[in-house]
Amino acid sequence: MSIHIPILIIISPLLAAFLVLLTRKYKIILATTSIITSIVFISTLSSRILSGDKVTYHLGGWQGPLGISLVIDGLSFFFSLIALGLGLLVIVYSIPERRYGRTYYFLLLISLSSMIGISYTSDIFNMYVFYELLSLVVYLLIAYNMKGMALRASFNYLIMGGVGLSFFLLGIGFLYAMTGTLDIYHIAEQLPAAFDSSMKMVIMSFVLIVTGIGIKIAVFPLHGWLPDAHSMAPSPISALLSGITVEIGIYCLIRVVYSIFSAETFSIIIIISSSHTILIVLGVVTLLFGAGMALAQTDLKRLLAYSTINQIGIIFIGLGIGTELGLTGALFHVLNHAIMKGTLFFCAGIMIAKAGTRDVQGLSGFSRQQPAIVFAFIIASLGMIGIPPTNGFVSKWLICLAAVEAGYIILAVIILMASAITAVYYFRVIQVLFSGPPKQNPLLINEGGQMIHRGNFFRTWTIYILVAGCLLLGLVPALGISMVKPAVSLLLSHIIP
Amino acid sequence: MNPINISLLVFMIGLYGVMSKNNLIKKIMGLTIMNGSIVLFFISIGYKEAGLAPILEKGTTGGIPTTILVDPLPQALMLTAIVIGISVTALALALIVKIYAKYKTLDIQQLSKER
Repeated sequence: MSIHIPILIIISPLLAAFLVLLTRKYKIILATTSIITSIVFISTLSSRILSGDKVTYHLGGWQGPLGISLVIDGLSFFFSLIALGLGLLVIVYSIPERRYGRTYYFLLLISLSSMIGISYTSDIFNMYVFYELLSLVVYLLIAYNMKGMALRASFNYLIMGGVGLSFFLLGIGFLYAMTGTLDIYHIAEQLPAAFDSSMKMVIMSFVLIVTGIGIKIAVFPLHGWLPDAHSMAPSPISALLSGITVEIGIYCLIRVVYSIFSAETFSIIIIISSSHTILIVLGVVTLLFGAGMALAQTDLKRLLAYSTINQIGIIFIGLGIGTELGLTGALFHVLNHAIMKGTLFFCAGIMIAKAGTRDVQGLSGFSRQQPAIVFAFIIASLGMIGIPPTNGFVSKWLICLAAVEAGYIILAVIILMASAITAVYYFRVIQVLFSGPPKQNPLLINEGGQMIHRGNFFRTWTIYILVAGCLLLGLVPALGISMVKPAVSLLLSHIIP
Repeated sequence: MNPINISLLVFMIGLYGVMSKNNLIKKIMGLTIMNGSIVLFFISIGYKEAGLAPILEKGTTGGIPTTILVDPLPQALMLTAIVIGISVTALALALIVKIYAKYKTLDIQQLSKER
């Protein structure tokens, strides 16, 4: 039993997804129970993982390069825990909304299951299959309410995502042609020999895979789909997309750049340094572009979507610096971004439902209606800007410190500049929330002249939990850093042979 | 010209279709062409001229030199990739049906003008 835990973590939501389709009454209980089961399974492994060990499971008993293995190491443990934690809160947040039927929970559970699959599998083709499954489900979830804009956003994402995953698959094809295996660790072993004989093909596969994943993460020139897709989706799904799905893309990128195309692989140091410079340059451009575009938005959810692009830039810079401090900061920022963006999108969901408009100006005076929600929004946006008592400050500080230590003082300046821009666009929203008389949703007034409070309990408490996480990680950053540590030491062992 | 180069050429044609065509259906056709080119690419990795299927008869322990056996793994992978390609196409076409019912057009230029 205990050796089968890695596959049970993936199967539990997958099985529940199909059971949810059969029942009408117990769908929510089933969904939450399956996720909690997965979390319990993971936590039984946590002591082994956090001490630097890794758990390997061979599917069907087939060893090594022949079969598919699931490997849980520090990095995949970290990402799967984020996915499950925020996924649970997304399910709880969706409970009060009665429009979400069985198919909604079905799709949500499949997406969570495939995200864990991506982070555990060590077979690169299997990773592609899980990624394609995740993307299919996400296209459906974006278009769930069948509004015209949502359909178009979903279609745009489908085209971009389809092209991106085609690039990824072609890159896998090149890797297979050179090494004759699909297991990530075996590819990493075989690649140095292949590099000597066919350097162009190695570079080609690197470029294809990074471009393909870059589309899914919405790095600057490839970001076109993200603002539409993230803002048109239902609010819990926006939180899922911004908080986890994008992060899973970052996980794939880390795996590819650090595990397959690592310094161990390339004896020639030029390639590895240039791939890190590429990450830094992409990060800076993405950061500034996201911050600049967010300034110009009048739609609250579009503003949050551009803010996601902004934060991805910061994570990229941290990864590109590549020192211990930089990697710690980047991975910690991944966790923080999931928590903060989850809070912001959940709050935005409540505000938009109350005010009946997505326009920032239409939200004026909201602080008098629900001060607690506005307080949560302020804490999370302080985290986004990077102001001390919140978690966002710690990770940004670590990345800035790493930049200065590595000699890129200009990077620290750029991050601080972008933080100032972030402050401008979030403070603009907060100022509107506090100004003017409270507005009532015209639709809600018509229904008997009083506001409908439906299931506020679940919605507000998920937000309180996330905000508590924000403050806790801000006040006791050692908690988060101890979670990141095994992943960082794993990545460093790849860089320095 | 070997099959790998041809498949890359077809991939570029598909990419051109996705990027430059205004009609949504044509974009999906481009995506399908890209998928097809990847199938061709993988199959040509495993292909061997006058190769044999890697099936061993019962009782024999090989005997066939592995150099003339065709690599079966890319073909198995492509079965999965074809299924995925079909499901993506099906979903895209379903979205197109819904979009057409809402806006009565499939031209992306006109769609971007609609609110």
